[in-house]
Amino acid sequence: MSLAADDADSAYRLGSGYAVDETGLRIGGYANAKIDAPRAAPFYFEVTDLSLFITWDNGSRLRFFSELEGGDVLRGGEDEALGLQYAHFEFERFYLDTLIDNNLTIRLGKFLTPIGRWNVIHAAPLVWTTSRPVATENSFSTHASGLMLHGSVMVANRQLEYSVYGDATDALDPHQSREPLNNGVGAHLRYYLDDTLQIGASFANFSLNDDLSANRHHLAGLDFSWSYQKFELSSEIVYRTSDRANVKDIWQGFAQSVMPLFSQHWFAVGRYEFFDQELDKTGQVGVLGLAYRPLPPLVWKLEYRLGTHNELLAPDGLSASFAVLF
Amino acid sequence: MRVVYPLLFFLLLTGFPVCAVEPLAVVTAANSPLETLSLDNLKLIYQRKSQIDPEGNRWVPLNLPVADPLRRSFSLTLFSLLPEEQEDYWNVQYFNGITPPKVMASEEAVLRFVAATTGSIGYVRKQKVDNRVKVLLLLTPNPEK
Repeated sequence: MSLAADDADSAYRLGSGYAVDETGLRIGGYANAKIDAPRAAPFYFEVTDLSLFITWDNGSRLRFFSELEGGDVLRGGEDEALGLQYAHFEFERFYLDTLIDNNLTIRLGKFLTPIGRWNVIHAAPLVWTTSRPVATENSFSTHASGLMLHGSVMVANRQLEYSVYGDATDALDPHQSREPLNNGVGAHLRYYLDDTLQIGASFANFSLNDDLSANRHHLAGLDFSWSYQKFELSSEIVYRTSDRANVKDIWQGFAQSVMPLFSQHWFAVGRYEFFDQELDKTGQVGVLGLAYRPLPPLVWKLEYRLGTHNELLAPDGLSASFAVLF
Repeated sequence: MRVVYPLLFFLLLTGFPVCAVEPLAVVTAANSPLETLSLDNLKLIYQRKSQIDPEGNRWVPLNLPVADPLRRSFSLTLFSLLPEEQEDYWNVQYFNGITPPKVMASEEAVLRFVAATTGSIGYVRKQKVDNRVKVLLLLTPNPEK
């Protein structure tokens, strides 16, 4: 009997991709479709994400990962015909990891900016709401392209994960994402206080490519996440200041709770957000939602968002979505 | 009375082993230079957070199928969670390109794979250990309630 015949996980399973024999290649991804019905605008349906993951890990010190994302693939609504008019594709992530030792991995390529927790796990099947908190994307670029050193060390018998990165987006990512970094450096630390509680801190110094004034921003953030059984509490807060006196400093943040309902598949979600804005007073919103997860890689969501000074970044309205990790 | 005591003794001998908690042996190849492993390190290896062994090889952690009582017991002992309760964790890891430990069909399959693959590590009941592998750690399992 061969060793390959002993292997019991060669079959495809939802949420873990398809392994191509013993090549080390794995193909998978996720999809998300939503209906947005803003209170003051026409409703629309959209396949917002169709992402393809390609992972290569043959057991050597090198590991490759890429995510090719189709955004706004299909869209239609109250005042627009269903069509592909907004469809666009890009490599959301594309990097090579070199494992130096247990404490250090060197990453080269395009990756998600490690600021807070939401941004690095933002895929629709992994988060509880259709809408994304403003604080997790508005004040920084969600991607960076360059070099990252990351890993973990033990501190007081607990794990401390770190990542330190430098961005050179212009050189490495000619097909740039929305609001890319022009250049920047940053770091993120995450400390596991126990199996249920983790706290994180982010720092970044950057300029954005779309900012014609070449203004330099300094960002600091804190995040925490607690989960026990099916209950969750999480929060992120960021503060961004700039070199120029005429650019407003901003605070943004959110706190979210998730609790199981009825059975192990239904969840109630509540979130409060606040966000300073360049052109308006501080916005505030509350989100109340329901999520149904018949299986962990598959989720249906329904939520209502209501707030003040939120028209531009997080308008009032109803959203529903379906997401699957495949 | 002369009949009752031997009968009780017989019941103890035959009945208790079924319920007794049999230690789990964490094993690696017999020719591995490793001698021991801490529980904390084992946890990191099975979370795929520790990727490289002290000899510089990639760890290849092995699991049994989700429904296997030994897998469930191992999972409870190490993480205080059943395998299905760890799916959220593995979904996040999958999003970052990291896959869970390889699943083998049986304890014999674990032993065979461990004996033949540098860096691999698995678990079997202590009584299944033979000269193909060496024991790095013995665990007293938490049985599933």
